Order: sequence, then structure tokens, then C-alpha cells
Amino acid sequence: MSDAKKIVIPCSGIGKAFGTVAREATYQLTETDYQNEWRTMCLPLLVAGDTEAIDLLKQSNVYTIDGCPKKCATLSVERIGVNVAMEVMVPKVLAQNTDHKPDNVFCIGPNGVLLAKDIVNKILKNGSD
Amino acid sequence: MSELPKVGIISCSGEDCPGGNISREATLRVLHDIRPEETVTICLPLFLAGGEGERGFAKRFPTITVDGCGKLCAAIGTARFSSKPTVEINLEDYADFSSLKTEEKWHIQESSSNLVAKLAADIANLVDEIRSNSE
Repeated sequence: MSDAKKIVIPCSGIGKAFGTVAREATYQLTETDYQNEWRTMCLPLLVAGDTEAIDLLKQSNVYTIDGCPKKCATLSVERIGVNVAMEVMVPKVLAQNTDHKPDNVFCIGPNGVLLAKDIVNKILKNGSD
Repeated sequence: MSELPKVGIISCSGEDCPGGNISREATLRVLHDIRPEETVTICLPLFLAGGEGERGFAKRFPTITVDGCGKLCAAIGTARFSSKPTVEINLEDYADFSSLKTEEKWHIQESSSNLVAKLAADIANLVDEIRSNSE
């Protein structure tokens, strides 16, 4: 696997559909057309203090996707001393694309997948060099 | 009449790891389908970030952690910020992931659906056991 310059970290909150949407957006970035440029990292592993993960994070541009105002991904990254290049809040993206409301936390449905795509487009638009 | 306590289920997030995805899916099935009245969600990211509600619950009530790999982030985090989990599940004890496809890091496929079902059933049985032992 090549070293990527950009890392996207979703909150993956299990209580809300938006956490699943954040994961789907991360999947779209890291496993499809953009996989050579983007990678992800496990948030709990970072909080647990995994030094290898933290060192890689500090050398990368970090993008967070949070499913709710508690912003666990963003706050956790900042707490380990890493600046976040861009924060994305899933509810805010939905507010701009109200038709793309996800079904539920189990299965976000086609509209949820579209919401994830909206998030990806937002990140790519702002993350371009 | 005393009420049996609910059991908190804490699953790892496990991005970029099929074990994490399977853990999350099995946990969701227990929470929403199999034992909805007997369990509560504890969001691991919120728990680790300092969620007082999550941490308070885990101090007072029994918990089951479900980790997708041997790094045991959910189990270690729960013990560190709250109390030692009542049961710690490590998915590496269930299956060899080397045969799972890359796609299964994110979406459950036919090849992993049986594992999800088995894990969910085992978690549900543990919930029943914990609750019956609390009587």
C-alpha cells in the first residue's frame, strides 16, 4: 500500500444513521476512484495512543467526518495534537441536500449513499491541491 | 418487582478492517432486532471522547465489548475510562479474516453474513446470561 498524503477519519457513531453515512463516505474515498490518494485510520486506535498511527497522522492532511455536533472524530484528532485540515458535519451536508436523507443506521439506503457522495464531493472540492 | 438491568454493548469502529465491520453489524442486530429491550447502545467514539452519559452508564451497568481485532480498543477503552467490561469479545477468536474480501471491510457480503449471525446470537445469549445472573 502506498503512503497517502490525505487521511479521512469518520466518527462511525453507532447510534445514528449519520455515523454509517460517515463510514460510507470514507469507503467511497478510500476504496474506489480515489484510493491511491486517500486512506483512513481507526479512530479508537488513535485514541488508544497507537504511536505508529499517530505519527502517520501527524505527517498527513487530516479530514474528519462527524455524524453529530459532538464531533468525536474532530475532537479526538485535535486532542492528540493534530490539526484538522477540514471538518465535515454530516447533518450540515444533508441540510444542503435534503432529498438525500438516509434510511437508518443499519442500511442507509440509496439516498444515504448519495449523501455520502455529497460529502465526498465536498471534501474533494476543498481538498484539491 | 425489581427490573433486570439493561446491558450496554460497545462495538469497535474498525475502519479499514473486516473485523470491525462485522463487529459493528452484529452489534447493531442485537441492539435493534434481537434484544432491543434488553440492551443499549454505547457509542465508542463518544465514549472515548469523554461522553459522560456513556461513561456513567458503563460504570454502573454491565457491558459487553465487541472488538474486531486483537488490539481490543473497545475493551481497553472501556476499562480505562469506566469499568472493566463484564464480557470482552475478540472477533479474532471467531474467524480467520484472511479469506475475507476487501469489500467486507465496509459492506457485509454473503461470505461474512453467517459470521455476523453467529456473533449476534452469541452476544444475545451473553446478554441473557448477564441479566439472569443479576437477579
